[in-house]
Formats: sequence, structure tokens, C-alpha cells
Amino acid sequence: MLKGFTRIFKPLEILTEEQIAAIHKGTLSVLKRTGLRFESERALKLFKNNGCQVDYSNKRVRFPEGLVEECLRMCPSSYHVGARNPENDMIWGGNTTYFQALSGTKSINLDTWEPKTPTRKEYYDAITILDALENNHIVPWYTPWFGFKNVPPVMAMPEGLAARLRNSSKFICANYSMGCEQFNIKMAKAVGAELRTSMAAAPPLTFYSDAVESAYRIVNAGFILLLVSGSVYGGTSPSTIAGSLITGNAEIIAGLTLAQLIKPGTRVIAQDFSFPQNMRSGSPAFGDIAISLHQTAFNQIWRKYGVPTDGGVSYPSSKKIDYQAAYEKTINSFAGALSGTNTIWIQGSLYGELAFHPVQAIIDDDLVGMIGRFLRGIEVNDETMALDLIDEVGPIPGHYLGKAHTRKWWKKEQYEPKYADRLTYPEWLKAGKKDCIDNAKKEYERILSTHKVAPPLTDKQESEIENILQEAREYYKKKGLISSEEWKNYKKDLKSSNYPYS
Amino acid sequence: MDNEILKNLRKAILEYDISGSASLAKKAVEEKIDPLKVLNEMTKAIREVGDGFGRGELWLPDLVGAADAMSAATPIIEEEIKRRGSERESLGTIILGTVFGDIHSIGKTMVATLLTAEGFKVVDLGVDIKAEKFVEAVKKYNANILAMSALMTMTAPEQRKVIKFLEDEGLRKGIKIMIGGGAITDEFAKDIGADGYDPTAPGAVKLARKLIGKE
Repeated sequence: MLKGFTRIFKPLEILTEEQIAAIHKGTLSVLKRTGLRFESERALKLFKNNGCQVDYSNKRVRFPEGLVEECLRMCPSSYHVGARNPENDMIWGGNTTYFQALSGTKSINLDTWEPKTPTRKEYYDAITILDALENNHIVPWYTPWFGFKNVPPVMAMPEGLAARLRNSSKFICANYSMGCEQFNIKMAKAVGAELRTSMAAAPPLTFYSDAVESAYRIVNAGFILLLVSGSVYGGTSPSTIAGSLITGNAEIIAGLTLAQLIKPGTRVIAQDFSFPQNMRSGSPAFGDIAISLHQTAFNQIWRKYGVPTDGGVSYPSSKKIDYQAAYEKTINSFAGALSGTNTIWIQGSLYGELAFHPVQAIIDDDLVGMIGRFLRGIEVNDETMALDLIDEVGPIPGHYLGKAHTRKWWKKEQYEPKYADRLTYPEWLKAGKKDCIDNAKKEYERILSTHKVAPPLTDKQESEIENILQEAREYYKKKGLISSEEWKNYKKDLKSSNYPYS
Repeated sequence: MDNEILKNLRKAILEYDISGSASLAKKAVEEKIDPLKVLNEMTKAIREVGDGFGRGELWLPDLVGAADAMSAATPIIEEEIKRRGSERESLGTIILGTVFGDIHSIGKTMVATLLTAEGFKVVDLGVDIKAEKFVEAVKKYNANILAMSALMTMTAPEQRKVIKFLEDEGLRKGIKIMIGGGAITDEFAKDIGADGYDPTAPGAVKLARKLIGKE
């Protein structure tokens, strides 16, 4: 069982009780007065049968307070999640925080910082890195990249999941797109792993059929549903943090109501994936400080609801592994951790969702180590207060360096970074002026030459995964979602001596 | 009086006043002001906002606010142009839409407004548009430019499909293709054989002019 990091002090809170009550009341009002649009006949029927007011002409569902409160109560506040290797299982909820890798559409060239499409080998290698990183507990969907060279877009998710299952035994996620969740579920079951899949609202206040259909599949498979509010405040939700919390929470609550009506007690996690809008480009303003404020308030409200939270999304706007990337990532992940996010996104990303690099993931793992140390707080007891020792050492020339107490405690109290440069000037000059990026690059090579996934897939599991992939390929080909040109390149890739690369 | 109405209409657009711009457009029609002159004044106003955005003095909410105010007045004036049987000089016809599987419309609609303001005839097909529908519209309107939007990485490849479809139909040579949206990069645009890409709405207008040789 992975323990993650347990916070031993009160979480950071920025809302007063009155403010929480006002936002909750506002959320209930949106659910009841404005309602949400559900593009799904069967969801509309289910809501109607459970006391919601459903307008079939515009697919609008209005939720009574009683049903909402009841479904919130049905959500477990803490639960076990199963990885392929039980040693990597986790318990989500309460005071515990786990960290997960982020993702990008492209890799980057570390010399020019230009984006580039990753190859199959780079994709699999990056998963090996994430599997090896001590503080990366989850290898989610789209991670490390949304796809890789020569893979048709519709096959990106099943191929990505297969790669994650082959090269990592940590908890894995897979998302939905074009019905791929049916193959994802089969693959996870074939290797005895659980999955987390999202049910994402299309803000404002809309759920499309693909999200609803995926939710039905995931809930019925008994897996975990991540309910997402992915609004961009100013664009798809009000520009104010309070207003955006209300629409976001209304979306998540509508989603979890559906999940609990399908199967009571379904494990859900509420995700804050909303960002302020970059009012120059229209993109989300990745790295903005408003994300920290939003996340902190979100955690405070959802703690009241008794539902675990996901977020602390540490996408930087920076395109380089640099000072900007560091402060953007640190502020948002740290605020997320201090305010009680249960699963935080951090390792590997650059420039929002547009780039990922495993070297960045290695550096981020050190950052997570530091945050994790902070969450453990300060132990205050007879031994740590060390009154007898203080008395024994006394004033100068006394010192603490050679004491057994020091040897026992210093490593517990500090976090010794693995990749940061902490050399003295003379050492640093002599060692070739290496920085944390150089050190992480070296670690990248070391991991790839030494790390082995434990346990690897058995031959039977491997063959099942391959059969499911083949089934998916045929399915999408038949549906006309893989063009002949895409298929030509893909086929070449499948026949390469490197396939499947693990 | 005429000048006063035009001045106020321009002001309404610059101040993002949707109801004001619509009622001033109606007033302009009632006062029988030449609708081409009115449209020209509106175009000047929206360009001013676009230039302010380009200089970094205005922001997206300003651009969208002005575009909305412009959109409220445009149909009223266009109807009057049609009623009078006169025609606005057009820079060319552009077919515009968000690709199949993608329902994002904010950026696409903003581009449509700015292109209309610039003097293009814009046929906005909407969102979630299948390749066949794009091709059908290109044929029907004898378009000069096809503009496609995709916000999501998963839907961006749909743009490639549309281009392939145009090639198969033998229509590719006769039309310029520009693409946009959050998931698009220059590299992607080149890769799928589009003629141009710009990340901003005012940039898209400049690109459209460039593509038809009227920079």
C-alpha cells in the first residue's frame, strides 16, 4: 500500500463558514433554478424517475435539494483504490495526499525548447521514468502524452493505456473518447487493476452523451469516477472565483447524482480542473494564482460534502524548464497540498497541456518530496524537544553534530533533494557547473538503464492486452474512424521490430 | 442627425452596448441612412477594437463585447442592404465552422464577426460539422476560403480529414484553407496541408486577407 503524504495539521482554509454556506446555497439554487443540460435520453429518464424536473424539449434537468443532499451522502468519503501491483494500492480521502503525473500533447527538445511529437519508444520510456519516481503515485490518462507518432488519434487512448499497464504497476487511469472506455475496462480487468475515468462536464452546465455513456460503463464496471468541472472562468463560467465555484460545483454534483443513481455508493472524486481565462490568447491561464485560491476554497467546500478531491493542477505557462515553470508549479501544488487536495497533478508538464518531458517529471518529484515533508509537519514530544541533549551540549564549545540524536533525526526533519544543486561554489565549479536539469538528465539515463517494472505483465496478460488492442483497431477501422493513410502508417508501426516496446 | 446616429452607433460598439447598437441600427434604417455607410462605420469601430487588442491595450472580453454589439446591429443593416437591392462589396466568401466532434464556438464566432466586419461574406456553419458538410458548403457558395476551428487535440485531426475530402473531390486547388483553435500549432497546420494558421482572431483576419492576396 502506498502511504502518500499525511497532513498532520489543519488544512489551509480561506472561506468563512458563512461564505461556504452562501456558496452551497448558490449551488443548490443553480441546480434547482437553472438546471443542467444532459444530452442523454437514459440519463434524463433516470433523473425524471428520481424526482428531478426534466424538460425533454431542451434536455434540461432541475434537481430538487433533497435528492442532491441524499446523493452527496451516498458518496464514500474515503476508499481503497487498486493498482495492478497491490503494493501500489492507495486509500483516497481524509488527510492524505497523493501525487500524479501530468501530460502534454507534445514532447520538447531540451536544447531548443521546441515541441516535437514523441515516438513509441519515448512514450514507453517516459512511463518507465514515472514508474520509477518515488513520489509519483498515479500514472493517469493522456500521460505522458496524448499519443505518439503513427498512432491514429482514436487509438491514442487504448494504446496509451496498454503502454501504462506494460511499463508501470502503479495505479493507472484511462479516459473516454469515441467509446474507447469499453476497451479500457477490458484491459484493466485483464490485468486485475482498477481504473479511474472522468465524467467531464462541458461548461457551462452541460453534459454531452459521450461523458454520460462513459459514466454508465465505468460505474457499472465498479470503477472510480472522477467528476470534472473544467471551466475557464471568464469564458465558460463567471469570471469571479465565487461564481465559478458555484457553476463548477453544480456540474460536479449533477454528475455525482447520476453516478449514485446508477449505483449507490459509487466511489467518486471531485476534480477542480478550472482555470482563469488568459484574456489575451483565450487559453486557460495556466500557472495563475487564482488557481490556488479556487482550489483552496474548492477543497474547503468538498471537505464539508465528505467527498475526496483532485486538483492542485500544476500546469505552468512556461515552455522551458526554468524559473517560471518552477514558481508556477510550486505555488499551485503547494496551495493544493496545504488546503487538502487528495490527488495532485504535477510531474512532467510544461506549457499547460501542450508539453510534457520526463526530465521535468524527475525535477518535479523532488518538489513533491519537499511538499510531502511539509505535510508531515512538526513532531513535538520529549525526544524532539531534546531538553536533556540541550543541557548536555550546553554553550560553545558544545555542538550537536556528533550526537546520536542528530543522526537519528536530521533526515526525518529535512528533505534531502535528489536532483537540486546544493554543492559549495568550489565543488560546483569543479563538477562542471551542473544544475538540477543536468542532474535530472543523468537520472533519466540511470532509470532507463536500471529500472524494471515490478511485476511485469505475465505472458497471458500481455496476450490479452494485445488482443483487446486488436479488437479496438478493428472496431475503429470498421467505424471509419481510422483513415487509410493513418492505417498505413499505423500498420508499419505495428510491424516494426520495436513493437510494442516495453 | 445622420452623423449623430452614426457617431452613437460607433460609440455603442466601442462601449460593448448590445441593445444600444441594435436600436441605433434600427434608427439608422428608419432615418434612411445609406446602410453601406452605416456598415462602414461599424466596421471602422470593430477594427479600432481589433487594433487595440493587437496593441495589447484591450483584452478578449473587450473584443468579444464589441463583436457581440456589432453582431446585434449587423443583421438589421444587412437586411436593409438587401431590401434596397444594393450589395456590399465583398472581399470574398469564407466558409467557417468547428469540426466534427468539437462543440466549442466562442473563438470561432469571434473570428466570424471580425471577418464579417472586415468585409468578407462569412457563412458560419456552426459547431460539430462533418467533413461532407464543409465540402458541400464550399461547392454551394463557391467559397474563396475554408476556415476550420478545433479546440481539442482529439478533434484537430478532423481538419486533416476535411482537407483530404476536398482533395478527393478535386476542390483543394480552388480554395485556401485556414485553421485555428486551442489545439492547433503552426507545425500541425503545415503537416495537414493547410494554407495558414493564426492563434488570434484579429490575426485570422490578417491571414484571410493575405490568403486572397489583399493584404
